[in-house]
Amino acid sequence: MDKQAEFVLRTVEERDIRFIRLWFTDVLGALKSVAIAPAELEGAFAEGIGFDGSAIEGFARVYESDMLARPDASTFSILPWREEGPGVARMFCDIKMPDGSPSYADPRHVLKRALTKAADMGFTFYTHPEVEFYLFKGEPEPGSEPVPIDRYGYFDNAPNGLAHDFRRQAITMLEAMGISVEFSHHEGGPGQQEIDLRYADALSTADNLMTFRLAIKEVALDQGIFASFMPKPFMQHPGSGMHTHLSLFEGDTNAFYEPGAPHQLSKVARSFLAGLLVHAPEITAVTNQWVNSYKRIAGGAEAPAWVCWGRHNRSALLRVPIYKPNKANSARIEYRALDSAANPYLAFALLLSAGLKGIEEGYELPPEAEDDVWALSEVERNALGMKPLPGSLNQAIIAMESSELVAETLGEHVFDFFLRNKKAEWSEYSQQVTNWELNRYLPSL
Amino acid sequence: MRVGLLKAGVTDSQAALDAVNEIESLTGQGITGLILSNSLAGVADPDLALTSLARMISSSSEQQLTRLTKTITADPMVLGRLLNVLGVSTGLADFLVRHPDIEMIADGEALAQPPQGIRNRLLLCVGADPLQEIPIAESAEESILDRLRVAYFAELIAITVRDLTGIYPMEVIAGWLSDLADATLNAGLAIGRVGVAAPRTPIAVIAMGKTGGRELNYISDVDVIFATDHSDSINDATQIARGLMRACGASTAEGSIWEVDAALRPEGKQGALVRTVESHIGYYERWASTWEFQALLKARFVAGDQMVGEQYIHGVQPFIWAAADREGFVNDVQAMRRRVEEHVDAAVADREIKLGPGGLRDIEFSVQLLQLVHGRSDVLIRSSNTIDALRALAMWGYVGRDEASKLEQSYRFLRTLEHRIQLRHLRRTHTMPTDPEELRVIARSMGITSDPATTLLEQWGRNRTEVRRIHEKLFYRPLLNAIAGLDASQARLSSAAAADRLRALGFLDPVGAMRNIEALSSGVSRRANIQRTLLPVMLSWFAQAPFPDTGLSAFRAVSDQVGTSHWYLRLLRDDSLVAERLAILLASSKYVTDLLRKAPESMAMLANNEDLVVPILGPEIDSTLKRHEDSERAVALLRAMRRRELFRISSSDALRLTDISTVGRSLTEVAEVTIGGALSSVGSEAGVDSYARVAAVGMGRFGGNELGFGSDADLMFVYEPVAGADPEVAAKSAFAQVNQMRNLLSEPADEPPMEIDTDLRPEGKNGPLVRSLDSFAAYYEKWSSPWEAQALLRARIVAGDAELGSRFEQLIAPVRYPIGGLSASALLEMRKLKARMETERLPRGIDPNRHIKLGRGGLSDVEWTIQLLQLNHANEFPELQTTETLPAIAAADKIGVLTNRDSVILAEAWTLASEVRNAIVLVKGKASDVLPIDITDLAAIAYLMGYSRSRVGQLEQDYLRATRRARGVTERVFYGKT
Repeated sequence: MDKQAEFVLRTVEERDIRFIRLWFTDVLGALKSVAIAPAELEGAFAEGIGFDGSAIEGFARVYESDMLARPDASTFSILPWREEGPGVARMFCDIKMPDGSPSYADPRHVLKRALTKAADMGFTFYTHPEVEFYLFKGEPEPGSEPVPIDRYGYFDNAPNGLAHDFRRQAITMLEAMGISVEFSHHEGGPGQQEIDLRYADALSTADNLMTFRLAIKEVALDQGIFASFMPKPFMQHPGSGMHTHLSLFEGDTNAFYEPGAPHQLSKVARSFLAGLLVHAPEITAVTNQWVNSYKRIAGGAEAPAWVCWGRHNRSALLRVPIYKPNKANSARIEYRALDSAANPYLAFALLLSAGLKGIEEGYELPPEAEDDVWALSEVERNALGMKPLPGSLNQAIIAMESSELVAETLGEHVFDFFLRNKKAEWSEYSQQVTNWELNRYLPSL
Repeated sequence: MRVGLLKAGVTDSQAALDAVNEIESLTGQGITGLILSNSLAGVADPDLALTSLARMISSSSEQQLTRLTKTITADPMVLGRLLNVLGVSTGLADFLVRHPDIEMIADGEALAQPPQGIRNRLLLCVGADPLQEIPIAESAEESILDRLRVAYFAELIAITVRDLTGIYPMEVIAGWLSDLADATLNAGLAIGRVGVAAPRTPIAVIAMGKTGGRELNYISDVDVIFATDHSDSINDATQIARGLMRACGASTAEGSIWEVDAALRPEGKQGALVRTVESHIGYYERWASTWEFQALLKARFVAGDQMVGEQYIHGVQPFIWAAADREGFVNDVQAMRRRVEEHVDAAVADREIKLGPGGLRDIEFSVQLLQLVHGRSDVLIRSSNTIDALRALAMWGYVGRDEASKLEQSYRFLRTLEHRIQLRHLRRTHTMPTDPEELRVIARSMGITSDPATTLLEQWGRNRTEVRRIHEKLFYRPLLNAIAGLDASQARLSSAAAADRLRALGFLDPVGAMRNIEALSSGVSRRANIQRTLLPVMLSWFAQAPFPDTGLSAFRAVSDQVGTSHWYLRLLRDDSLVAERLAILLASSKYVTDLLRKAPESMAMLANNEDLVVPILGPEIDSTLKRHEDSERAVALLRAMRRRELFRISSSDALRLTDISTVGRSLTEVAEVTIGGALSSVGSEAGVDSYARVAAVGMGRFGGNELGFGSDADLMFVYEPVAGADPEVAAKSAFAQVNQMRNLLSEPADEPPMEIDTDLRPEGKNGPLVRSLDSFAAYYEKWSSPWEAQALLRARIVAGDAELGSRFEQLIAPVRYPIGGLSASALLEMRKLKARMETERLPRGIDPNRHIKLGRGGLSDVEWTIQLLQLNHANEFPELQTTETLPAIAAADKIGVLTNRDSVILAEAWTLASEVRNAIVLVKGKASDVLPIDITDLAAIAYLMGYSRSRVGQLEQDYLRATRRARGVTERVFYGKT
């Protein structure tokens, strides 16, 4: 038992915490929770809490026996949104087999495995996501058009202040849970928000994202509005992406930075970038895991529909931000396809593995895309060797199916479950008759 | 002169002479060559000793030189001591060159005594008053640290000199080295107090590890824990502790003494450096893990506030000994033991003195483990010193006395070796040098003078072998003494202690295990005698296999069955290989155990690898058939022969002495001769031979020479009337022959039945059991469907009339190798059939990924894929005309109808699936086509397949990966998916 566990037990005692929620994530990225009483906590640290895995998406039937959720004491935090009544705290869990070995179905373990591989190569992996989402008036009702809370755009200071209040309360709450928020502003669509999480190691960031999504929804409910991370709720307005900045460190040194190299990009950075480019189509089913995700990618403007990289280019899949001189440690790569509704553990694991593959195999970085990719003709794009990202969940599934990289990274169990689940989703979607079809075909056919 | 030097062991006589001349001239003949060469006796590295002395003298100031010469000439023994030190360690030689002062080895009388007053001398040298209750150094400046280092190495040299006399056993030297460490920690503490706001803050330094156990090495980190009295003292105490760590560990102009390592404290490196005694105890009450209790075994107060120190030691004692009551203790202990065993496997092992097989760690760890298991109820074995603990364990019956004393000798040898290697360059190392010159010096330093390098390696090897069987000796043999009630003159384990120990070693049911051990070993019979000797090591083998309890009870059952036979006793007594293999098989494979129980004499085969290869069986069968005209009797004998061969094959597979292809071929061959023999016996007995000739056609895996332990024999039968015989009578008698043979082979009896499956014949279950060649010809001409052509790819004559067989094979050639390959409609039908099988034949509730035969990328995917290629191309490429799967895949790759990558994927998946399927039968004793989800079964299967025990999940990942890839190939190549 370590210091952190001791700290947790002490805090639970001192702060009169009555329930501890043990959080973990299913394969599709939904947060799951088991509540325990403080008296069970010691046992939970030592041996974990048993639960029936078959009830959880993607966990079922790895083995017949029950699974164990073992809390990670370093993730302990008191939930700030239940102020009245006794305190509630939460911790993230690792999912274990009855013999104590990690479960292959646990997304957190998938990411940990990928991070271990990076560590073996001498790297630590940092991520910095910019999370976009929409705020609506009231709960969504089936069949009706959602109503955003305001009609303002990028960086507008909304006078009625609803969004402003929301952001203030959300940030306060996140900070109270130890999640540093870097920047927030009003995004491009009406009612759209962006909150950036400060960069941290990928496991903490993924944990933070899970907390973040829940916290945002809680704050919204509290204010009588509704928050959604759906990738593309409006046809005419921009989707909610989660541009994520990636960097590798060797000890305290940013491994992407090399003074004097082209764009100050080290060989590691260039190979990492090349790895992401080569494997981007294969990992898209995970970075953009819903049918709706592809509506965002197809949406034009800043959506990264083609596999290319650039420095100034806001339409490229990968952007190398121009950083301030002498800020060697801020060297990073921005992956722009990811959306806010991805499973962050799996997505980060795959982004990392794709980049590491580039380093291992010494991939060459293709030339940078300098034009606005959306403005190019298809022939021009072909001539430049730009491949599109999968245009639908179905195409993404096909690209993923034959990927050894994805199978190795996710492990056979998660890989198989994910594909089966996504195929089923696609199949169900394909059977839908949409409003668009009715409006377009019914009158004329 | 030169001869004298050479006799003393010098290797480079010219350099030595030069050194001697230099010494003579610099000391003005004060030290002469003659004296030098007379004083070199017993010096480990005389070359080094002489050149170092020359360096020492030449770097001395005039005053130093005068003193040096005076000391040396005053007592002739001094020079010998000096040369000994200079010749054993380059590090100490360098120190003496820097500080040509040899006061510490001048006083022969003092050196004949144990070292005394070290603490006082070290405290004085840092300007602290040893008589004060809380000595404080005069400053913490670097010059003081330098002084402490010089004084420390002077003391170390004095201990080295005593060590090199060879009079003192290792543990005495190690104790003195610990005393030196204690004194140094005291001086370090005095330095640490300097400049602290409250320098008299109570702090206790608790030594852990080898220092705590008073068994320190020459060069080692010193493990400590710091405690203080009150939480208000923590800040100052922490500052003092940091000062102490710097005082000892910092690297100054005079180097560093050793690192003070405080990582054994609660929470390790993350934890607070100093805690109150209360907080230490609070931690152990709630959090500590088993290894921490193991570490606490060695805790000893060495410096600082005695009251705090005693409170600490007193406070933690109960926890150490309650450890065995903690939940999870047994699991922890087993995991720790496995970790140690895994170290034993490590490849670095060859030159390792500490971690390698038969290394020091193994001894120390095993002793501590026994202390933890039994020390709870017995205060007499709680020493923190390895040798003391080992002696106590022996004295009170927890380990055997002879074993303990042999082990003690080995331990002493290994530690001495480690000391000398560390001294050589003052480096913390546990690795045997490879350089023969170095080896020679090390050997000489241990007093080995004739053929030193070789002799040293021999002795090391002997001691390692001794230690390598430590688990058997320490853990298991005493169990036996206790349970069997041997040797009443010695103290013994109580039965509660024996149960504790068995549980700690991995037996789930210690009471049952004890009952079995007792039954096997009690009594005065020769059998009991031999088994008593054998059991300790057998128990250790059982404990390493997946099912120790089952293994032990099966052993008892076998012994009850045949225990009195001479061959059995001789085998066990004389052949440890048989015993080891028997233990592994009984504790891992139900299939092998069942076969062995039917005929225990089979175990004789385990003695030789050659005996585990299936011999040519023809002559044996011929003679059986000749001797027994009665077919029932003859077939019974054939079945016994088959059982014997199954034991042979399954044992060699379970022991991983063979590969999957050989297993398949051997099982097939045994099936062939069994069926052939039975057919011929039945035929000649009934006189059928005069009406019809019969041949057996092997299908499926039988035809492919690929039978597994769980496979039925797929067969069809063809006959032809003998010229002139009535066709109807011929048909009847052929049927009778086959039917009778089948009954005799499959009916329940002592020997395992052989199941024959004839469903692949034309018209399946509705078709006649036996068909004439003409009828086959007519059938295939008229009716044959694509799946039958596919099934015929695997058809091979396995028994019966060879000439008829070859005509049958000619007959089916155009069916199975069609000109131009499959028609479009046949291809479609084949795909449709397979697709339907995938949805319909898979049992419900089974994860399709885990079904070995019909699941994703399983055997059937691979086989159908390659068979499709055979149907399409075998007519054009005769290489493809084989009934065997792996050769067909290889041929398809070679002629280019399958890419190399795809062929590798298919072969890997097929091989792995076949291996898993065989391993399942071996473990469970019955066939199953599903990769188990039960983790115990899975672990046993992984064990039989050679996976290390900590990597059970890996088998599953490997299997799922291989079959996923194979499915990809099937989808492209078989189903034509693009």
